[in-house]
Amino acid sequence: MSVGTQQPDFAEFYRSAADECLRAVLVSIGDQDTARELVDEAFARAWASWRTVSKHPAPKAWVVRTALNASISRWRRRRREVPVPDPDMVADPPAASGASISLVDPRIMAALMRLPARQRQVVALRLILDLDTARTAEMLGIAPGTVMAHMGRAMAALRHDLQPELQQECRS
Amino acid sequence: MNDNELSTMVRESVADVHSTTPVTQIISRGRAVRARRGIPGVAGALVVAAGTALAVTTLVPSSHPGLPPSAHPSSHPISVRLAAWTVAKQADGKIDVTIHQLRNPAGLQATLRADGLPVTVSFSGQLGLSPSCQPYSTAMSSVKAVTQIHGDGLVIDPSALPSGTGVAIFDEPGKGLPVPSGTTPTLGRKPPTHPSIPRLLTTLDGPLAVGLVYASQQCTG
Repeated sequence: MSVGTQQPDFAEFYRSAADECLRAVLVSIGDQDTARELVDEAFARAWASWRTVSKHPAPKAWVVRTALNASISRWRRRRREVPVPDPDMVADPPAASGASISLVDPRIMAALMRLPARQRQVVALRLILDLDTARTAEMLGIAPGTVMAHMGRAMAALRHDLQPELQQECRS
Repeated sequence: MNDNELSTMVRESVADVHSTTPVTQIISRGRAVRARRGIPGVAGALVVAAGTALAVTTLVPSSHPGLPPSAHPSSHPISVRLAAWTVAKQADGKIDVTIHQLRNPAGLQATLRADGLPVTVSFSGQLGLSPSCQPYSTAMSSVKAVTQIHGDGLVIDPSALPSGTGVAIFDEPGKGLPVPSGTTPTLGRKPPTHPSIPRLLTTLDGPLAVGLVYASQQCTG
């Protein structure tokens, strides 16, 4: 497949899947700027391997899985880096952080971030990408029963975290 | 609150988050990914004649030095591809640089200059930044408009360079470029420690910084 013929397909996929993939990665890692960077990189890899990815049964999940793997690789790499000041952050921190926070519900994001990483990944794939248990298990390389267990624990923890605030909102 | 209500709440909590990256930018990064994947085969071929290849890279520019960026044929997108770094000239005039190892800065500099980019490259003091290189102190948005970082590489848009400026690529970010004299704090903002070090990319040999400098014959060629 030539580059010229594959671009329209990929562009269509990107337009339809980018938001969902970004939200799924955001739910998994919590930081919006990092999530954007990771998802961009994952889509770039998807374009580079579009012949394979386009035939994948769940290409969105492929992108999310790739982004999460890239997140782990990035973390490992950065442990060896020499820290230097980031002028972007120093120069304009309120604008950068404010833009990210305003788009998500901070209460729910905080509750999600209190979940273990694997539970967040299951929540991302099941709730945001709407994958079924079998496909989620396949993408994460775990048993379907384990997916159900993680999902059940995650929902219980989220309910426990968010219920009091909801009740308080109802009373007021 | 049942599971459906909770699921809806989680979905709605991120419903306002949208991807803003244009697909053209993703495809540009995808090309860089492909270029990186092609490197092992090229590196294997280079083992046979590594010395010759490096000499050719350093001495023979990838394109005609006299031609402006727009005059380069779009049918020849890859300028130079080595194990240490890859330079790919895109059809829209942007230059895709992927750096894996901090080697042969002179070759990289010559290749980029041959592609019409005023640039100075310094790795581990091999080349040394000329004292005539003066950092261009400007808003980060200008630097971001010129360079876009992706993993271990960057895309440089020569057409977005402010007039009279060039690009500096260097390691040892704390030493490569001095802080411009006369930098004054902007009201309400903390002045950046290194205003001319906007972006960092990661290579196998360590971090690499990219900034803008005033163009001059001595500094950026």
